[in-house]
Amino acid sequence: MLLRKLFRTLWKYKAQFISMVIMVALGIGVFLGFNVEWYSLEVNTGEIYNATGFADYRIYSDKGFTAEDLEAVKGIRGVEDATRYLSLNVSVKDDTDTLALTVSENMKVSGILLMEGEPYSPKDPDGFWLSDSYAAANGIHVGDPLTLVYQSVTVSGTVKGLVKSSEYLICLPDSTQMMPDYSTYGYVYISPVMLDNAIPALYRMIAGSLYHQINVRSSLDKPAFVEAADRALGSTRLILSKDETVSWSEAQGEVNEGKTMASILPVLFLAIAILTMVTTMHRICASEKTQIGTLKALGFKDRRILVHYSAYALMIGVIGTALGIAIGYGLGWFIMNPDGAMATYIDVPSWTLYAPRFTWYVLIAINAFLTVIGFLSVRKMLKGTAADALRPYSPKRMKHLRFEETKRFKRLGFGTKWNLRDCVRHKARSLMTLFGIVGCMVLLVGGLGMKDTMDAFLDVFYEKAINYTTRVNLDEEHMTLEEGKALAESLEGDWAAGLAIQIGDKGYSLEIYSVTRDKVRFADTEMRIVPLKDDGAYICARIARDYHLKAGDSLTFSPYDSNERYTVPVAGVLDSMTEGIVMTEAFANRTGLDYTVSAVFTDEKEIPDSPHILNKQSKQSIMDSFDTFMDLMNKMIWLLVAAAVVLGIVVLYNLGVMSYTERYREMATLKVVGFKDSKIGRLLISQNLWLTVLGILIGVPAGIGILQYLLTALAAEYELKLTLGPATWLVSVLLTFGVSLLVGLMVARKNRHIDMVAALKTDE
Amino acid sequence: MAIVEFKDVSRVYRNGDHEQRALDHVNLSLEEGKFIVVLGPSGAGKSTLLNMLGGLDSPTEGTIVVGGKDISTLTPNELAEYRAASVGFVFQSYNLIPTLTVIENVALVKEIAPDPLSSHDMLRAVGLEDHIHQFPSELSGGEQQRVSIARALAKNPHILLCDEPTGALDSETGVMVLKLLLSMARDLGKTIIIVTHNQNIAKMADVVIRVKNGKIQSCENQENPLSVEEVDW
Repeated sequence: MLLRKLFRTLWKYKAQFISMVIMVALGIGVFLGFNVEWYSLEVNTGEIYNATGFADYRIYSDKGFTAEDLEAVKGIRGVEDATRYLSLNVSVKDDTDTLALTVSENMKVSGILLMEGEPYSPKDPDGFWLSDSYAAANGIHVGDPLTLVYQSVTVSGTVKGLVKSSEYLICLPDSTQMMPDYSTYGYVYISPVMLDNAIPALYRMIAGSLYHQINVRSSLDKPAFVEAADRALGSTRLILSKDETVSWSEAQGEVNEGKTMASILPVLFLAIAILTMVTTMHRICASEKTQIGTLKALGFKDRRILVHYSAYALMIGVIGTALGIAIGYGLGWFIMNPDGAMATYIDVPSWTLYAPRFTWYVLIAINAFLTVIGFLSVRKMLKGTAADALRPYSPKRMKHLRFEETKRFKRLGFGTKWNLRDCVRHKARSLMTLFGIVGCMVLLVGGLGMKDTMDAFLDVFYEKAINYTTRVNLDEEHMTLEEGKALAESLEGDWAAGLAIQIGDKGYSLEIYSVTRDKVRFADTEMRIVPLKDDGAYICARIARDYHLKAGDSLTFSPYDSNERYTVPVAGVLDSMTEGIVMTEAFANRTGLDYTVSAVFTDEKEIPDSPHILNKQSKQSIMDSFDTFMDLMNKMIWLLVAAAVVLGIVVLYNLGVMSYTERYREMATLKVVGFKDSKIGRLLISQNLWLTVLGILIGVPAGIGILQYLLTALAAEYELKLTLGPATWLVSVLLTFGVSLLVGLMVARKNRHIDMVAALKTDE
Repeated sequence: MAIVEFKDVSRVYRNGDHEQRALDHVNLSLEEGKFIVVLGPSGAGKSTLLNMLGGLDSPTEGTIVVGGKDISTLTPNELAEYRAASVGFVFQSYNLIPTLTVIENVALVKEIAPDPLSSHDMLRAVGLEDHIHQFPSELSGGEQQRVSIARALAKNPHILLCDEPTGALDSETGVMVLKLLLSMARDLGKTIIIVTHNQNIAKMADVVIRVKNGKIQSCENQENPLSVEEVDW
């Protein structure tokens, strides 16, 4: 019988029941979704790192490594395995595409995962194991012939397998690209035998060994490994840990981003869901007090009544959790499915969704907590004798407030006084409403602000800083500085030279610019375009932060593969896409750096063929890759905006209905006295609107605070400056107001149906 | 002169197949300035009659004319205007706004009544001038009922409708409230209509209406009603 009553109670408070289920589902959905996102990314990338032996360290040498060098490295205590490795950008014959031609002598390190075709053979003389994503984007199948060109050398063979590699987990041709574009760039593995036999010409062209890299699997920490490697190889080398590679750092960056997001937004949602539950359960139990008393008076034991009403809370928890799990996995799938933007960015064999184990414990804890909320709410109503329990619940008595003594308060209209005192009398309900509005506002300001910030960032870097039509990448290894300058001159362009450097034991890029035609520009940390001066090096914001440097300080670095050390003054801090240092040609010459031109920036439409030109990138192709990146960001932002609106509507509607129920008798009295429905409606809405104004006033700084927190958490990846456009202010405020007004009107409409006679007959 | 006229008024409540006739072809004519008591057992239809007159409910059949105006066909908004201007209510459970003080509860009618009286004067008239800044929850039941009467009077209505106004009060406080209501009729010329179970109150009335099964059983004019003090409570 009590079970039947449970369902009837559920039906009686269906609005509250549904809104609490939605809140719990939304809270759990967002909590699970964000955690599923980062954890699935971690597990899916972890699987390919393990399957393909992703290297922990990469030792570089311009001269290449001999078999003896490899043995020396393998002999280091703490090194599990190592391989000589080659990665070289080559062109596809009769095409503008570029492939990273890759050889790993020992495929247990930096190897491949076969997706289709024949297994890799280290002795295969003419087989290509091609990136399956590149093959799919270009309609290439197993068995197709493929010819690659490097300088004047061609290498031909057959595609024998389609593969994935963790070394190219994020497959970018250079640091100017944000998103992989498999239609123009991919990678291909060949065997060492094919490298030695099929392209001996290439071998002759490169001085020394072909292998300019040794990739190592080792559990040693970086200082210990660097020391041991330097000792084993007899000289100081550039050694990069996996944290300094795009395929690890960017993927980990995504994981960390996800963790950061998962630690803020779901907490907000869950907190609102739980607080709503506390308030609503208390009100439901208060409304049910006489029924609770009746059951007690009839002889039902307290325990049974407690179980009965706690089951109501548990039911909300269980249904909400079930829906939340569906929403969470749906959200996870929405962000990262094989056809989504994340899959374009990170190339893993499967996008299976996983939830971290702790999330299940949290879900159990939430359900237990919700049940306890129900339990405590009903226990409060059961206190005392059966006669006590039978008495209807009476809200707190009104007390005079300090501000009521002011003249200003006395001059207020009755509606204002009524609403003000009601807010104070029902503090929990008012605070919850405020909390809901603040939450809605925070999500809108945070979400849309993130978009503004990214847009401003991209605008500076890709609309203002890139003032050229084409970037021409040169083969710097086979040309002199003068040849490079002459080429830049003939193309009427500005030029840059790139050097790999180390600050301490960490690798960075150093870019030397000659800007005479305004083709390239630089932005300071305030996102203002600033000219480069010749009196020092400009560092990026991340270096400035990590090494506590500012303009006027000095910085010491050494070029990669060199024992030379340079100490230069810091001329300024720039906001930069890449982590590195920038200086002018004049300052580089004064410092005594050795370099050659690596890229020319030009507006020339007709760029003549030259053996010195590696490839050309149009500004449009660079921009296109950001659109894909922004697509992912926009999806997340629209999800947030939608979640904010749903959150706002559900919380405000639930509390609005609660307020309506609690003030039903008062409104009935006003109606009897002669107040029109519209006037009562206005009174109800005005309270909502005050709380909305207050919520917006609190929500704006809170939203900015959370956005700043997110940007700080993302600072290792992007040098973002918080930007909020007028549209964001307007949309956030109007949408929050709109939601509040909509819900206010929905609730206010109900007062037309107030049964004056019935309402006034009941006892207070 | 008749201030209230019920012409063949019926009120039928339907709940599924079940039909309940709360008022059944009621005809009634009441004069201005009288102290009128409606008596009858529970479920007789006396509260329905009061609700019809107060514009809280509308008849299924017939017309109700108050002060020469047919209120049976008014829209909800017109009914609200009628309640604001013409009738005052006093309920058994007082129905004060708990978040407004005594003076604010009375003054709130200024928001809607076209010709309101001074709230302070009304509270003085009911003897609560010293309690004006207190909240209803700080008053006794009798005091709360007096606030409710002051609020009803502050609208300056022609008719005061009272549904069991002494039902929740002890007899001493009840007598005080009745004395107040009687003085409103005698001194201010208001038409007071009280619905009650209490036969004793009828002894004070100018007109006694007895209702049973939704029908008017009798409507008697009493030539010599007793004063409050004369009634044996």
